[in-house]
Formats: sequence, C-alpha cells, structure tokens
Amino acid sequence: MSPPFHIVMDCNTCETAPSVVINKPEVVEVVLTITAKAKEMLSSAFGDDRSHALLVGVLSGGCSGYMYDLQIVESTEQDCQEINLDGFRVLVPNATSHLLDGIEIDYVDRMMGGGFKINNPNAESSCGCGESFA
Amino acid sequence: MGVVKLDYYVLVLRGKDSISLVNGLSTNKVDGTCTTVFTTQNAKIIDMVDVVVSAGFVALIGHNMYKDSLVQHINRKILAQDVTISDASTANQVYLATSEIAVPSNVTICKTFRGWIIVAPINTELEVTMTEMEFENYRVENMIPFQGKEITPSNHPLACGLGHLVHEAKGCYIGQEILARMRSRGKQGKQLVRVSSPIDDATSVGLSHSLAIRRVK
Repeated sequence: MSPPFHIVMDCNTCETAPSVVINKPEVVEVVLTITAKAKEMLSSAFGDDRSHALLVGVLSGGCSGYMYDLQIVESTEQDCQEINLDGFRVLVPNATSHLLDGIEIDYVDRMMGGGFKINNPNAESSCGCGESFA
Repeated sequence: MGVVKLDYYVLVLRGKDSISLVNGLSTNKVDGTCTTVFTTQNAKIIDMVDVVVSAGFVALIGHNMYKDSLVQHINRKILAQDVTISDASTANQVYLATSEIAVPSNVTICKTFRGWIIVAPINTELEVTMTEMEFENYRVENMIPFQGKEITPSNHPLACGLGHLVHEAKGCYIGQEILARMRSRGKQGKQLVRVSSPIDDATSVGLSHSLAIRRVK
C-alpha cells in the first residue's frame, strides 16, 4: 500500500457530523464464582496484601470478538463494581458487566495453555486458545 | 480512465482507542491509512473500508449498502474503549479516480489498490469523467472486486480477491482462525477469476471479459 498522498479531512464537515448512537448495554449486577485452584493461585499472587484487586474485564478483539482482560491493580479509572470474593477484591467494569455475569474464574495447571481461565455462560462460542469469545 | 462517484459513507471515529479498535476487528494491520476488511466470526465480509488516519480522528470509508451492518458490528464491540462514532456521510462525497489527479486543497485523496479514493466536502463537486460501464470495465480488466458485486456478505475476503488485505501475522481479529486455516491448508474454496465473456456466473461484466467467483479445483 502506498502512503497517502494528501489527507485533509479537517474540513469542518466532519466536526459537525451527527453522532452515531452507541447502544450502551445495560449494567448488570455481576455474580461470579472462583474455583479452589484459582483461589490458591490468587493467594500466592497477592500474599497477605489485600490492597490490590483482580480486575476482570473484556476488550473487543480476538478471534471471536471479545477478549478477557485480567489484571492485578491497585485502582482503576474505569467505572467498576467491586465484589468481595472469599476475601479477594474483584473489580468488574460496568461497561462489560453484561458479558461477565455468572462467570467462574478457574485456574488450569498445565505446561501449554495454562493459567487463569474464565468459564462464561454468556459465551456462545470461544476461539481455539480460549482467550476470546462471542 | 477517469473519475467516478461512489455511493460511499464516511464514518468518523474519535478517541484514543480508535485505531486499536479498527485493528482488532478487521483483517489488515491497521496502524495508519490503509484498506481493510471487517469480517464476521465465519470470516464473511461485513464491508471493505478505506481507513484514513488524520489528526484527531480516523475515517472509515465504505459502501452505503453495508453501513448499517458495520455500524451495528462496531457498536457492540466498543465496550469501555475511548471511541465515539459520527456519521459524516451527508457532509462529504466520495469519488474514485483511476489515476492520480490534482484536487482542491480541501479535498482528501489517498492511493488504494483500486485507484485513488477522494473525499470531498459536499460543496466541492468534482467532475465525473467515467460512466458506470467504463468503471465496471476498468474493474474487470484490473480484477478489482467491488461491494455488492464480488464483495458481499456471502463471501470471505480470500474468495473475492482481497487476500492482500488479510495480514498474515497481525494476530487475532474476528474471523482470523478461519482465514488462517484456509491459508495454511491451501484450501480457500472459491477465488476471483477473470474470464472471456459471456458467462452465466458473472459478478461483473466488462467489454470483453467478466469477473466471477468460482470454486478452486
């Protein structure tokens, strides 16, 4: 692909263009569970420190459209609901709550493809590696 | 050769996540101005769009017949990302020139695989110098697929001559598993062909040749 020749498009016309309505999904009060193995792994990751939280989010992308996003954070700028899960703080962004209600956080212990795994009843399908879902 | 007016939309995405959103949802590696294809999970085409990256926004330029599908598709995927969409279609008109032409200073022009895409404000009319029939013949002779003809929701990008817009190493996007499997196994099912007219299964008809999408043996 050759580089663009001449891009202006600051054109005033774009500035005044009508917004496309983005349908924000309804915020759901999330219920989630965690397996004993996942809890054990979180314990070793957090230690006795409960100032940090596990952020469970969803990003768009991946082979199936949505990708899980797991992070250990102290705080986040995202609008989240905080869930106390057996002593662990879990943060779920409200923007993705409709995709995460009812999930089970699991940990799979194997050489390849191991790690935290989300079992999601809202997922109609998942990609081969299990990181994305639709 | 000349200039033809296209029935195209111009969507404007603003926000810091605009490029990564488009990159994560389409087949080409989008890190600047380029052409890419949005596909479904089954790798069927939603639309082929020209992505124009400018200061402060990203414009998506595609065919009006697929605008609603694309907007709906992107809409569901925005989630918490910093992206807003506006529709600048009524404020702009889109042309395609088969060769480089001089344009007024308020007009955007970008080279694509099928010619030069031109986006002009609605009050800047460019002279159309090509009939629809001449444009179709240009496409047939150069094996250029077009929306509604070869680029349809029934086809995947590899089948309709858009394989060069399917990046081999960019990582995951919707439909990637299927397209990667087709490539790695050398089985893409159908492909775009140019054959002498007349034929029964033509998708586009030129003066002496036609385009068709046929099963690869």
